[in-house]
Amino acid sequence: MKEIKKIKIVVAGPFAAGKTQFINTVSEIKTVTTERKTTSATEKSVKDHTTVAMDFGKIKIDDNHELYLFGTPGQSRFDFMWEILGEGALGIIVLVDSTDPKTFHEARKIINFFQSRFPVPIVVGANKQDLPNAWSAEDVKYALDISDEEGIPVIPLSAKNKEDVKKVLLTLLEIIKETLQA
Amino acid sequence: MALTGDLKTFSFVDILQVLAKDKKSGVLLVEWKDMIVAYYVKDGQVVFARPVDKVFRVYTDRNFDQLLNKLRIRKEDAYKTVERFFIPRLGSKEGIFSFTPGFIKYESDVPVKYPVEELIMMASRHLTEEEVERKISDELLIFEKTPDADEKVTRANLTEEEKKVLSLVDGTKTVADIRKEAGLDRLTVDRALYGFLAAGIIRRKRKERVQKPSITLDLLTKIIEKIKRL
Repeated sequence: MKEIKKIKIVVAGPFAAGKTQFINTVSEIKTVTTERKTTSATEKSVKDHTTVAMDFGKIKIDDNHELYLFGTPGQSRFDFMWEILGEGALGIIVLVDSTDPKTFHEARKIINFFQSRFPVPIVVGANKQDLPNAWSAEDVKYALDISDEEGIPVIPLSAKNKEDVKKVLLTLLEIIKETLQA
Repeated sequence: MALTGDLKTFSFVDILQVLAKDKKSGVLLVEWKDMIVAYYVKDGQVVFARPVDKVFRVYTDRNFDQLLNKLRIRKEDAYKTVERFFIPRLGSKEGIFSFTPGFIKYESDVPVKYPVEELIMMASRHLTEEEVERKISDELLIFEKTPDADEKVTRANLTEEEKKVLSLVDGTKTVADIRKEAGLDRLTVDRALYGFLAAGIIRRKRKERVQKPSITLDLLTKIIEKIKRL
């Protein structure tokens, strides 16, 4: 049986940033999720279920290659999964809930985590731009302390919108291409 | 686009950082437990503060110079409202904020007695251990001074302790090294670093090491084409 080569992109971000939705929007298979009921009162007030191990979605590239999108659990108590999922990734997408500034610091910590372990391109998606109180991508960038020198673009999106999700993926892939050609 | 949040999770250091980076103008409204205060921001600087009994009153005065005339406040004295209604509250964590950009019209310059860099440093001195951990989260982080650090430092009015911490930021020392060499308590060092970062005096040093992607250009091009077609 022919072995299909798997290419991996990791979708990370704080709790309720929209990672599962992001993967759902572009995956060609029904996203495989490992959701459990939220337990803490704070988390319950945001959503009923949360990813505890990973989500994954798949896009077939050709007969020999598949692109896997792995979604990490958002809570830092699962950071051992971030390490496992980050291994061998082509790039990292960090999603941020633009309407929830209390999660911005957590997002920065996640960027620091991946930056220090996996020197691969990172793109930040400023999600939930369809909601009225969303911070602009530019303001999210400032709040996350992302300097121009870091080379991390912050892209506005709604993870429900396929064209937005494609734009984030393409931005990451173009950076990977530049790195490859450098 | 309005910026809204809760001071419990997004402190004044963070708010001022966002306002300063983009040199925003507008009104920052904070609903404290005991009063509502409108802070007038011009080009990233907090120039005036005004308690209001009802939020809508803020939005009825769109011309800053006329507002000062109406309140019988001389422009040269506007800073006194910052001293009275802003600086003493920099350490408060109980409040909801919202910043509305651009609706107030400033016809002329307003004197700035407290530059935003100084306000950021003042606010950073009130950060708790839990708050500093949000940005100074890893003791292996390395910071370097920004190209315009000297200019910003002149406006930041640093304490002797902060100057000492800043002198140790050289693009090679880790946070752990700085904590050790500063001879100060850890919270003081971390507060200073947090403040410097927010004021744009220092920045994270970018890692030089970039991993070459383990993929061929042909395959990558194929992936890009596939994503475009989705």
